[in-house]
Amino acid sequence: MQITDIKRFCAHSDSVNELLARYGVKFGIYKNNTFKEQLFPFDMIPRVIEKDEFNYLERGLKQRVKALNEFIKDIYSKKQIIKDGIVPEEFVYAGSGYLAQCEGVIPSKGIYSHISGIDLVQGKDKNWYILEDNLRIPSGASYPMIARDLCRKGFPSLFEENHIEDNRNYAKLLRKIMDNVNTGGHTVILSPGRYNAAYFEHSYLAEQTGSHLATGSELTVEGDYLYFIDYSGKKEKVGAVYRRISDEFLDPMNFREDSVIGIPHIYDIFRKGNVALINAPGNGVADDKGIYYFVPKMVKYYLDEEPVLQNAPTYLPFYKEDMKYVLENFDSLVLKDVAEAGGYGVVFGSKMTQKEKADFIKLLKENPRRFIAQEVIDFLDIDIYEGGEFVPRKADLRAFVLMADEPMVWKSGLTRFSRNPDSFIVNSSQGGGFKDTWVMV
Amino acid sequence: MGNGLRVPLSRLRVKNMKVLSWENSDRLFLLGRYSERAYSTIKLFSNQFDSMIDLKNDEDIEAFTKRFCFLEDEPDSIYSNLMKAYDNAILLRDEIGSDTLCYIQLAVYEMNKARESDAPILALQRVTDNIVAFWGIVDDSVDEPNVRSIIKLGKRIERIDSYARMKMAAKEIQREMKRLNIRIERTGLNYDAQKLFHLNLLMESEELDYDMIVQDIESLVLNEKQYFAQASGM
Repeated sequence: MQITDIKRFCAHSDSVNELLARYGVKFGIYKNNTFKEQLFPFDMIPRVIEKDEFNYLERGLKQRVKALNEFIKDIYSKKQIIKDGIVPEEFVYAGSGYLAQCEGVIPSKGIYSHISGIDLVQGKDKNWYILEDNLRIPSGASYPMIARDLCRKGFPSLFEENHIEDNRNYAKLLRKIMDNVNTGGHTVILSPGRYNAAYFEHSYLAEQTGSHLATGSELTVEGDYLYFIDYSGKKEKVGAVYRRISDEFLDPMNFREDSVIGIPHIYDIFRKGNVALINAPGNGVADDKGIYYFVPKMVKYYLDEEPVLQNAPTYLPFYKEDMKYVLENFDSLVLKDVAEAGGYGVVFGSKMTQKEKADFIKLLKENPRRFIAQEVIDFLDIDIYEGGEFVPRKADLRAFVLMADEPMVWKSGLTRFSRNPDSFIVNSSQGGGFKDTWVMV
Repeated sequence: MGNGLRVPLSRLRVKNMKVLSWENSDRLFLLGRYSERAYSTIKLFSNQFDSMIDLKNDEDIEAFTKRFCFLEDEPDSIYSNLMKAYDNAILLRDEIGSDTLCYIQLAVYEMNKARESDAPILALQRVTDNIVAFWGIVDDSVDEPNVRSIIKLGKRIERIDSYARMKMAAKEIQREMKRLNIRIERTGLNYDAQKLFHLNLLMESEELDYDMIVQDIESLVLNEKQYFAQASGM
């Protein structure tokens, strides 16, 4: 694209953002116990990924998700990877993502992670690094999808002249993976309700996939099947549930008994194969920040292949030699609490005061399993358009891998950027914005 | 039956109606009611506002406008009614579609702008414009007849209710009643057929019994609890 084209494109940023507001493209956030809806700022300049580069990413992403799926299956059945000493059991069983209730349960077609959100960054060395795997309920695909739709309407010639993969097929892919495991009946997107941070996405994907959007109170388990109760009183069988409720709240009879947003006994009928749950419960065992360290080893172990995509260099203070390295290089590392998500629990050694550092090291020594340390990757900055100028910002990429019989990588992704020039934190909950991701044909 | 009704509780289900949960049928109905209430209150208030200017009022007219139109914690304010419409609409994207939902969203944006405006009554015009656009697109874009009809029934019931409370001319209420009669069977909603019959009888009186109309119209459509209570003879 020529710079003049980009400027012409960006000049309409306000119009596109106004349209996104019109369609309610928001996310929810709790601050001081108050729920607020915020617009998700969209930057017009896309992240562009050339065909060859995307082919490479696609290969690596498919490989990684296959290995992760094998890992989950193994952990809840034979546990061979533990027996073979590849992954220490402390990291499996001590993490909050492991659920004993999932032992011995094999979901339909052996698919655990139907939708995987894999976060990557590109370093200044142009190498891509995996930052984290999200295998529970990753969100974000709807934003570039709706933004693309608006941009195409506004600037048809740009899309005519540049051959870009159409990312609006996400809903079709999603529907495909739902239908692939549907046990017979309606397809439902189960949401905790409108005060969930990603409620816009739940409702938009329901609309786009032609699914029913429901909350727990609209569904009931009777006689080993799940039903949607129609307003005529008629019971309609449900065969697949794309649930956007976390594991612990999904079923008060099997997980947290104080959950009022789940469906009693849904996990019992899932176990019997009478309904598909997308994603399967228990996936958290594989996307724990502590387990992340072992994913390249899983690729070798399960697939007998060299990993295509690399992790960011990571250290586990759990291992003595890693603890030593972390303490010696504290100022150059980023430390992450494995129990946190959304950009929370992330601290940079270089930004701590002496006291903070001393307190943190004490905590680290007491709970080495709780933290991982990573080299700070010097992200490749990408430009955003702000106040009529192009300014560089840190950005990551969430790629989506959808699993039917084989993994499919969505030819786009959510690019999130930090609006603060000094920050590496790109999460929407911390004020970040988003970009579309163009994959060139 | 003596009154000519086949069943006391009518539940005619038109073939190929969209499967809807009780919750969503309630939400569609309430979306119709609250959007109409916000619309008609703005219209009425705008008309009355002019005459208020020349009257001696106990309360400052601008303070009254703020309270009546925009107070968040005043349940009968126009703002509250519009927000109730929004609270239902936001849960119905999969039933009515983003292109329809966005007009309620736009009405909310305009309401917030009107609240900050120096000339709020002028600015409220944009709120009504968007509500009218919403109803238009419901007709144009919502393909499922029961989904469309439930919203329209809510609107119709709200209109009869408010017209009766304001003791408006009989012909205005009768016109709405005719529309309601056509619409109600298409909704698939549970309603009390005896009350509908009674309402139609009330409409034939020379002098309308407004209180009775309000009573009947408010209890015409049955929610889940009422339906099962009546169906089981409780």
